[in-house]
Amino acid sequence: MVLLTLLRGTTVSNQSASIQFENNAFKVVGWPAPAIAPSGGWSPIFGVYVEGASDALLGNYTVENRTLIFRPQFPLAAGVRYRAVFRQPGSRAAVDQMFNGPPRNVTPTTRVDRVYPTADVLPSNQLRLYVYFSAPMSRGGAAQRIHLLDKDGRELTAEFLPGEELWDPNVQRLTLTFDPGRIKRGLASNQRMGPPLAEGQQYTLAIDREWPDAHGVPLVESYRRTFRGGAAVRNPPDPKRWKLTTPRTGTTDPLIVDFDRPMNYPLLQRMLQVSASRGRIEGTVSVDRQESQWRFTPKTPWAAGAHRLIVDTTLEDLAGNKIGQPFDIDVFDRVTEHITTTTVDVPFTVR
Amino acid sequence: MQYRIVVRAALGLCLATALTALVSPIRDAVSAAATLTPGKAELKSAGALAFGPDGVLFVGDSIGGAVVALDTGDRRSVRTAAINVDGIDQKIAALVGITPDQIMVNDVAVNPISKNVYVSASRGRGPDATALVVRVEPTGKVTPLALDNIGHASVSLADAPASDPSARQNPRTTTITDMAFVNGNVLVAGMSNEEWSSALRSIPFPFSAAGKGTQLQIWHASHGRYETQAPVRTFVPYTLGGQEYVLAAYTCTPLVKIPMRDLKPGAQVKGVTIADLGAGNQPLDMVPYKKNGHDYILIANTSFGVVKLHADTLGTDKPIDSPTVVNVAGAPYDKLTSLTNVQHLAALDDSNALVVTAAPGSGPRYAPGPSNGPVNLKTIALP
Repeated sequence: MVLLTLLRGTTVSNQSASIQFENNAFKVVGWPAPAIAPSGGWSPIFGVYVEGASDALLGNYTVENRTLIFRPQFPLAAGVRYRAVFRQPGSRAAVDQMFNGPPRNVTPTTRVDRVYPTADVLPSNQLRLYVYFSAPMSRGGAAQRIHLLDKDGRELTAEFLPGEELWDPNVQRLTLTFDPGRIKRGLASNQRMGPPLAEGQQYTLAIDREWPDAHGVPLVESYRRTFRGGAAVRNPPDPKRWKLTTPRTGTTDPLIVDFDRPMNYPLLQRMLQVSASRGRIEGTVSVDRQESQWRFTPKTPWAAGAHRLIVDTTLEDLAGNKIGQPFDIDVFDRVTEHITTTTVDVPFTVR
Repeated sequence: MQYRIVVRAALGLCLATALTALVSPIRDAVSAAATLTPGKAELKSAGALAFGPDGVLFVGDSIGGAVVALDTGDRRSVRTAAINVDGIDQKIAALVGITPDQIMVNDVAVNPISKNVYVSASRGRGPDATALVVRVEPTGKVTPLALDNIGHASVSLADAPASDPSARQNPRTTTITDMAFVNGNVLVAGMSNEEWSSALRSIPFPFSAAGKGTQLQIWHASHGRYETQAPVRTFVPYTLGGQEYVLAAYTCTPLVKIPMRDLKPGAQVKGVTIADLGAGNQPLDMVPYKKNGHDYILIANTSFGVVKLHADTLGTDKPIDSPTVVNVAGAPYDKLTSLTNVQHLAALDDSNALVVTAAPGSGPRYAPGPSNGPVNLKTIALP
């Protein structure tokens, strides 16, 4: 347990009493506390404050071996200074001492790890970007720290959906959504401003180094990634057009699925499963070729016979088109097959 | 303009009961708190808030993938007193021993019985942040609810497997963007951080073991031609001509009305766009009210503060059916330039609203970043 640094001694003379901090407890030593709290409670006598604050920390008081102890409800925070004040009953004297929370790490160690999709050309109706960091970040800074620039380096200001930041629970992956009002055909935003990405134009995703990670420390370096806008993708992905490379019996070679387009990376981790007559097969998934190839390596060797690739119909491509369902359905020109099941099967045989 | 709501059963077992409950009368309000179990409420985060009956507060826990009902025990009816507290983030920070920049204020709700204000917040901004729910009284007294010993119940919203079952945590979350208690059900709108989903959930309360409730897929059509799944960002129950509606703002900006009676399995509902508040803008909160015999809806937005929508003719306004006529069709609205930097809005009583304002961060106007604070609670007369 950290024994915090005593920064400043008693400021008003009270020679016998002092305050110590150990094991997440502030103790008044040198003053024999009565076993019973005074009628006004202990808080007028002994309080701990964040430096500069007028309201005291929440916590519990106890008297142990005639020592008055205050245990804060929350642990002291890194980099924060605390003021502990003991006002001795019957005396105008007070003990006023400063304490430091645990030291804050100041060496940058976190960086942008990768951004999906990884392709150099993204459809003009690209729906989302996924930014992976090497360590947990702090919430609340995305709009300020992430920029989309045009080919001249000018910042584009109405690209991403404002509002809530969509993080994973570990605050290590951020989901950025392009403004769906600009993607959706027929809406005012789409008609006035066009899609978020224009076909043929070059863009740079820039992330500031100053963005603090979960410990309040900036990133190791800024991040830049250049890509171009491509043609909009309006038709839904069709498993019938996927190419399966099947493994041989008795091996743990991967089942390889080549899609007809790049797909949504996080969804590829959980929306495709492999099944045999005996049930679901356990294995590991990897994604390759700019998210247009899915590889499944089984834990145990393949058995001969019929297998199925089970596809969740909510699997999306880069533009949010689901299996059998485009992102924005043109009801005047309904050429796509309407799929109502939650999964579709792609059969294959292991020989 | 045409809308379609495709209603799917998320859980076949509880579908029938849930939908019956959706349109059934309000349950016995007095006993609501008695259904909650004392003990530690496991809240991994505290986001969207909504009050139910009997001082029961619903808290959206997006990280925990749950809605948690808390017994505030706050059932003493009082006359409304204005609440004006400057630096609520600073006050909370002082109590929990941290600097104000490490407090995120996530939502506010007003207890309709006591008129006390409840604020959801987090202590810290990283994965180890602690969920906080605090009560703010008209005197300015701020009291965090003791979440380690409180009457509570929760319902899990998790219905997707982990991307990587061996991973420490499932990276998929649904951020709960708004909630409301309607006719014995908690309506929950949210956005997934993985798939494009427009689920609006209806969960019967008291929560039951089977209780994830019914999931509706909300659709939106433009020009009557292009239909998309459209996540609801914020919504409010609203009665129009004796009929119950949900007024909802999509993430793609249009404001629509959805008849509540039509939320049935397999139904195709034609809704109406009543306003389009402009590109690059997110409606945050809505407060319907009546003043001098006229109906209005106050709407807080991300990009231009607050608008006052004239709602008298919401039932008969010409719907917006073309993107080129948004200025002449739909319900008229005024931009209230006197209210700026509004982050949240809640009804306080028939003539007052509570606004949460915060100075924008130091970034450029379009992306100010984290607020430099302070975050202020302010009572305003409904305009």
